[in-house]
Parts: sequence; structure tokens; C-alpha cells
Amino acid sequence: MLSYLARRILIMIPTLIAISIIVFIIIQLPPGDYLETYINELKTQGEDVSPEKIEFLRQAYGLDRPMHEQYLVWIFGLLQGDLGYSFEFELPVTQVVGDRLWLSMILSVSTIIFTWIVAFPIGIYSAVRQYSLGDYTLTFIGFLGLATPNFLLALVLMYLANVYFGISIGGLMDDKYIDQPWSLAKAQSVLEHLIVPVIVIGTAGTASLIRTLRANLLDELQKQYVTTGRAKGLPPLKLLFKYPLRIALNPFVADIGNILPRIISGAVLVSVVMNLPTTGPMLLRALQSQDMYLAGSFLMFLSLLVVIGTFLSDIALAALDPRIRLEGRADK
Amino acid sequence: MSQTRPGLAVALLALLALPASAAAGPQTAVEEPPILAEAVAAGTLPPMAERLPEQPFIDRMERPGIDPGPYGGRLRMLMGGTRDLRQMVVYGYARLIGYRSDFTLAPDLLERIEVEDNKVFTFHLRPGHRWSDGHPFTTEDFRYWWEDIAQNDMLFPAGPPVVLRVDGQLPKVEVLSETAVRYSWPAPHPTLLHELAKPSPLYLYAPAHYLKSFHEKYADPKALKAAVKEVGVRNWSALHTRQGHLYKNKNPDAPSLQPWINTTPPPSERFVFQRNPYFHRVDREGRQLPYIDEVVLSIAGKSIIPAKTGAGESDLQARYLRFDNYTFLKEAEKRQNFDVRLWKTAGGSQVTLYPNLNIQDEVLRKLFRDARFRRALSLGVNRHEINQVVYFGLGREGNNTLLADSPLFEADYLTRWAGYDPEQASALLDELGLTERNDDGLRLLPDGRPLELIVESAGESTEESDVLELIRDSWQQIGVKLFTKPSQRDVFFNRVFAGKTQIAVSKGIDNGLANAEMSPWELVPVRQDHLQWPKWGQYHETRGRSGEPPDLPAGVELMELYTEWHNAMEPAEKQRVWKRILEIHADQVFTIGTVSAIPQPVVVGRRLRNLPKEGIYAWYPGAFFGIYHLDHVWLAPDEDGKN
Repeated sequence: MLSYLARRILIMIPTLIAISIIVFIIIQLPPGDYLETYINELKTQGEDVSPEKIEFLRQAYGLDRPMHEQYLVWIFGLLQGDLGYSFEFELPVTQVVGDRLWLSMILSVSTIIFTWIVAFPIGIYSAVRQYSLGDYTLTFIGFLGLATPNFLLALVLMYLANVYFGISIGGLMDDKYIDQPWSLAKAQSVLEHLIVPVIVIGTAGTASLIRTLRANLLDELQKQYVTTGRAKGLPPLKLLFKYPLRIALNPFVADIGNILPRIISGAVLVSVVMNLPTTGPMLLRALQSQDMYLAGSFLMFLSLLVVIGTFLSDIALAALDPRIRLEGRADK
Repeated sequence: MSQTRPGLAVALLALLALPASAAAGPQTAVEEPPILAEAVAAGTLPPMAERLPEQPFIDRMERPGIDPGPYGGRLRMLMGGTRDLRQMVVYGYARLIGYRSDFTLAPDLLERIEVEDNKVFTFHLRPGHRWSDGHPFTTEDFRYWWEDIAQNDMLFPAGPPVVLRVDGQLPKVEVLSETAVRYSWPAPHPTLLHELAKPSPLYLYAPAHYLKSFHEKYADPKALKAAVKEVGVRNWSALHTRQGHLYKNKNPDAPSLQPWINTTPPPSERFVFQRNPYFHRVDREGRQLPYIDEVVLSIAGKSIIPAKTGAGESDLQARYLRFDNYTFLKEAEKRQNFDVRLWKTAGGSQVTLYPNLNIQDEVLRKLFRDARFRRALSLGVNRHEINQVVYFGLGREGNNTLLADSPLFEADYLTRWAGYDPEQASALLDELGLTERNDDGLRLLPDGRPLELIVESAGESTEESDVLELIRDSWQQIGVKLFTKPSQRDVFFNRVFAGKTQIAVSKGIDNGLANAEMSPWELVPVRQDHLQWPKWGQYHETRGRSGEPPDLPAGVELMELYTEWHNAMEPAEKQRVWKRILEIHADQVFTIGTVSAIPQPVVVGRRLRNLPKEGIYAWYPGAFFGIYHLDHVWLAPDEDGKN
């Protein structure tokens, strides 16, 4: 087990190096660089930047150097914990990300909890009472949630929340609390503003969770040990929770690897539509304006979380399910 | 300069209307803005008379409906990002010399300017004028900028801004006294004052007392090194630029001359601007402006700004509102406490086609360079239909030229070759020898290819694709097929520059309100980003190092006219040059305009006063709200009598 863990940890290093190279190349792939994007944007607004100024800025930002050199500067900075400098904000990346990270985590954790609270009971119910009226109704609602485009739902709910409850459009708090220290009133404002995004982001996730749980559980419920248990007179709830549900949960544990980065990056599209001060829109904007160190460092951070998350979920799976043999998998 | 006669060297460009009318004199004790009263009473802030220059800028408020108002209140606006902080410098519009609302120039920060033959410019500052931190604003700030910034290799590696060069020559700069500084060139520099009045102006000054602590020459090396490290920039010059960028307006510590100054360090989602206690303008009763204490900019996604505005979250909004938001906003007007006004825009044409005269394809190049072909394309556009379908008939149909509000406008510039006449268009194309057609009715090029034109766009505007769709239908009738190809902005420009794009689509000229004193640069081949002749423009910009010289007679003449305009002294001569340029454009149809003067929705809170019902919303020369002086806008008390 120990040597397995050590190997897994060592494998992360080349994985991360490969990811860093790919991330850097992909960010640089679109034609032009940050300055060109920036200048063209200014030009569409009628502003003007002289060619010598552009050359000067390019030197100042180190954009005139060859790509591998830029990569090395970036990666050595990362190793020393320096995430680089955001061109657009003219601030170190850590400062730009700052508060957004916390707000993203609040939003994502609330969404995940919401999803689980809604999806688990429904999923179990649908599996146990397969093809009942309740199953059909809930499945129908679930599919509706899956099929409605998130951004559309976001717009509609946001409009209704504004017109009927007077909640300001977009954002995660009322304007007056921005940059203010935390207080009860501010927390309340955040909670009010959380409702719509949590529902919007949650609905899609809920539906898929219900379907997976239902299918897994149905498989298990038809197995012989369940029939045997039932025949021996185990109480129905214990019979359900003790074994089939535990096994049906495996896919969710395996999914932890994906949940970690999602907590940080949030649902980008919905966040953009709803103007949430989370990291998603920031990343999108950074990619669009080719603010390469901000985008690159943030993507690297997400990748690191995926790698760690995968590692964690592997360990958790092994602990949860004795049928999973470490030796067998390590041979692959 | 109409006053200039041979032998008389000095012409006063614009003397400030004599401020001596005693009643309005700043010496009279007047009420302090309540928000400052406490600090003044406590002695931490000098009283108003001492904060103002000896001769402040007196806002005469001559336009009807503009009246003095009470102090106080907060103005909320929505912006698209930290980058938009500069809009407060645009809206604030405190310039050395600025445009009035009729687009003539008048000194603003400066008390007066003396101009001799457009060669020698003497600027007189207002004695007693102060930066927002209370430090005097003097010619030292001009000297510092010129000697220690513009001529510093680290701060301006390519030397001072090009706009300061006349025939490659830099000005001679002399500091005459604490309040007078002179810039002189051997040849005329007719655009200098306009550069100073631009929304993104040429800065000739910098807050020396503040910036010296970031300048290698003046700062303590150890402290400077520590500061560089703390901010996390590369070197002192980056730090200096960052801290002292008056236009970007991000640094809350930097002194300013604008009516409101930023107090929030980025990053933030909400920036609070507070009144500049040393602002140099007063109303006609001698009370210091601005009236409004605080301006709050909330940062929101650009796409959500119309929705937020409709929910009443902005008191003054035009930025990021588009004409197609009008109906939504009008509906929200009933529920919310704002009015939606429609202001005019200054562009020469909203959606404009640019046949590329420098295209690589030789067959098409020959065609594009024939004026008859461009005329035919223009005659084949049904502008009336575009106006009705896309703009509810509210636009002005015609060429990409000046607006009727410009003193240079003539109806013929707008309408020549711009009526919808498929028959005449077909006749012109036949005349060019494009008579062969294929089975689909498409004309064939001399080399046998069908006449299919690809129009490329920067891919950001659905409006462009709507209009192109309509043009496609009407060109079909004259046997020309149109394809649209949305791309991405960087790619778009690079393809145009390289001559790979056949026809580009973009906005028309920006300044449709030009008068004869303004440079005609948008209409002559002097810039690479003029999409109809990128290589000619590049040739001028690089002084012949790359690009191609204009080789059509009309292009050559435009360049000659441009030189003539620069050397012209008499307004009549400038006007003649301008008219000839416009005439050439109308006749040659270098660009194909469609519809212009599309109204801009401006959302104005019902409590807001002193903002005109009808105005012009333009970047240049209007600085958006800048020429309407937001500092004299005030808020009427609400029902509770509060501000």
C-alpha cells in the first residue's frame, strides 16, 4: 500500500509538468498576445495607442522573448510560489484571485449540498419504487432540469427575483456590502443572492445524479444477496442502506477528483450570465484577453486539484470497497 | 486663426471670458459642500476660497435649463471592468483645453493659451491651482513630465509621444515662470490643441511632487527598491508608470485634477470616487463644483449591464447599452425611477463596407480600384430597407460621411451614389465588362470565377450580420454574391493588413461632427487600421519603410490635401481642403456606408438635473458625457428631502 501511494505521488510530477506545458501552449495558441488584444479593444472604442508605446509595453511585459523562455520564467516562478503578474489588472495574480476564491467555494459547496439533498432521496425513491407514478413524475422533473439551458433559467429566475423580491440583479451581495467587513447583514445579503445561482447550477447536476444513483441501485437491488437478505427477514431500510446503497455510491466517490476543481472554478457560464464575483468569469476573461500568467497559473491550480482529487478518490475507493484490489490496478 | 495677418505674429486663440465680474468672485464667502464643512471647521482642510485657484474656471451655465443646484448625493454607474476606471477621466473631462458643447475649444485647466502662427504655444496656468492632495499645480509638473518622463529612456524608450513631433522635430520647451510654459516648433502644429482636448488626451504634465518618490533620479534608492519589490513589478520605471498613470486612474494615492478621485484600490467590484476638494471649476454663483459628492462605479459583466440598468441600478448609463435594448429599457422606465433618452451618435455610418484596395488577388484588386465598381456596389445596397428592418427607421441613410450637425456637411456627400438603383448598378457593372453570367445569374470575373465577395467581420456584432444579410439579398439582384465570414478581432486586422481580406465590415468614421479645425486623418490614407487602404496607411505611418505608397490619383490627391491642411493658416483654406476631401470620398466611394446617426439610449435617473434632454453621445470629440460637464449635474432631493 505504501509503495503504491509513493508511486502515485511520484507520477503526479511528470503529469503536472506535461499539463503545464500543454496549458502554456494552448494559452499562446490564439494569434497575437495580450497586448494586441488589448490594443485592438481600445481601438474599437476609438482610443489610440502609438506603435512605439506598444513595443515598449511588449518589452516591459517580456512578451518579446521566445516562448520557451517565457515558459521557464513562469514555471520557475510557480515553483517558488509566485503565480506571476496579471497584465490586465496590473497586480500579482494572488491578489486578483483573492476574495473570489472564497466566494466560489461558498457557492460551489452550497450547490453540491443542495444537489445531494435533493438528488439522494429522489434517486433512492425512484429505484425502490421503479415505474411508479412518483418515479415517473420525479424523473420527468429531473429531465426538465437537465434539458433547460442553465443560462436561460438563470436569466428568467434573476428577472423574477428582481421584480418580485427586489433582489438586485447579478452579483453575490448587495452593492453596499462590497469591500465591507463581514457582518450579519452582509451574510444575509449573500444568502439571498445565493438562492438563484444554487438552484440554477444545481438543477442540471441533480438530474444526472438522480439518474446515476437510480441505475446503480437498480443493478444492486436485483442481486442475489439482496434477495437472500430479504428472505432472511432483514428490515427493509437496513437492507437498503447497509449494502446496495454503499456499492451504488462508488461512482460518486470516484467523482471526487472532479468535484475538487469544480468547487474552485464554479459554473463558468452561469457565473458570467449572473455576474457572480467568482473565479469562473475571471478565468474566462483572462483567456479571452490572453492575460497569460493569470490564466496559466489558475489553470495549473485547477489541474493540481484534479490530480490530487483523483488520488484521493482512488484511496477512498480502496478503503470503501474491499473488492477493489490495489495490486490488480497497479499492474495496469 | 482668423486674426492672423502677415506681420502680426501673435494671435490669441481663446481668451477666458474676463472673470472679473465681481459678484461671482471666489473671494465672497460661500457655503462649503456639507461633506467638507466639518474638515474645514476643524482646520484640516482650507476653506473654499483658498482651495480654488485665484481665477477659477467659471461655469456660466448658459445653455437653457442649466441652473445652479445643491451639493451632495451619490451617482451610481455600471462599468464593465477595472479597465473602465478611465471612463471617470473621460466623463470628468478636466483638460488643459477642452471642447465646449458646440465643439469649439476653450481653456479649462489652463487660464489662457497664446498661439503664434500655430508654431509657438504659451500655456498660462491658473495661479493657486492645486492637485487633489493640495499641492500646487505648477509648471514644475510640466518640466518634470518633459524632462524626466518623456525624455527618459526607461519611461519612454522610443522618445516623447509622436504627436509632439512636427516633421520629425520635437518642440523646444521653455519654463517661463511658475505659471507659464512655452512649446515651440519651427513648423506649424495645427493638431496640438486638439490632442490636448481628446477624451484620451496628450498629457504634458504629471504630479511631480508625488512621482518623484518613484523616479530613479530623485528617489532614495533603497526605498525605491523596496517599493518595487512590494508591488511586484519588474523595475522602477514600471512602478512609476503604474503609480502615475493619470488616464488609467487606478491608483487611489495618485493626485488628480479631475472632479472626482478614486478612493478604492483595485481589484474590487465597486469603486467609490469622491469629490476633489481642490477642483478648479465654480458655478456662476462662485460655488465650487462638482455638486455631487460621490460617484460609485459598480463593476458588472458587459452583457448584464442592460438588465441591471433596467432594474434601476444605475443613475446614469449609456455605456454598454445598445440601441436594441431600447424597448426593454422603455418598458422598465414605467416601474423604475429613470427616464430613457435617445441621444445622437457621431459615427459616419454604423455598418460600413471597406473594399480592400490593397488586396493580394490581382483580378479583384483591379476591380476594387475602379471607382465604377465601388459605385455599383453602393448603388446596389438598399439602405432604406436596412433602416426600416434593423433600426426602426430611426437612422439616416447614406454614405459614410459627416453628419448634418457638422459645419462642413453638404447633402450631396451623403446621397451621391447612395440611392438604391439596381439598374444603374447593373449598367455600371456591364460597363466594366462583367457581362458574362453563370447559371445562377452571378456575374463572372474576367478569369471565369463567379463574382463572389467575402465580407469579413471582427465577429462581435450581430447587428453587422443582420445588415449583411440584407445587403446579400439586394446584391443578388445585380449579380453579385455576398458571403459573410465572422472571424476574431486580431485575425481580422491581420488579414486586412496583409491584403487577404476582400471586403471588411466595421464601423464608419468616428468623428462625424468634424469642423475645419479638426484633422481630416480619418479620411486620408495615413493609418494602417483604415481598412480600405491598409498598406497606404502603413506606408505613411512607417515613413516609407513598409507598406505601399498611394498609387491611385485620388489617393495621391488625398495625401496632398492632408499636407495642405497641415500647413493651412486660414480657416477658409482649411475648409476648402476639407470640402475637397469630402467631395473625393463622395465621388470615389472608398467606403460603402449604410445607415448612421443611430440613437444611443441614455438612462438618466429622474432626480438628475442639468443633463440635456437631447445630446450627442460620442467618444471623440464629445468624451461621452464629458462635454456636458458632469460636475455641474446635481441630484434633486428625494421624497424624504435627502440627497
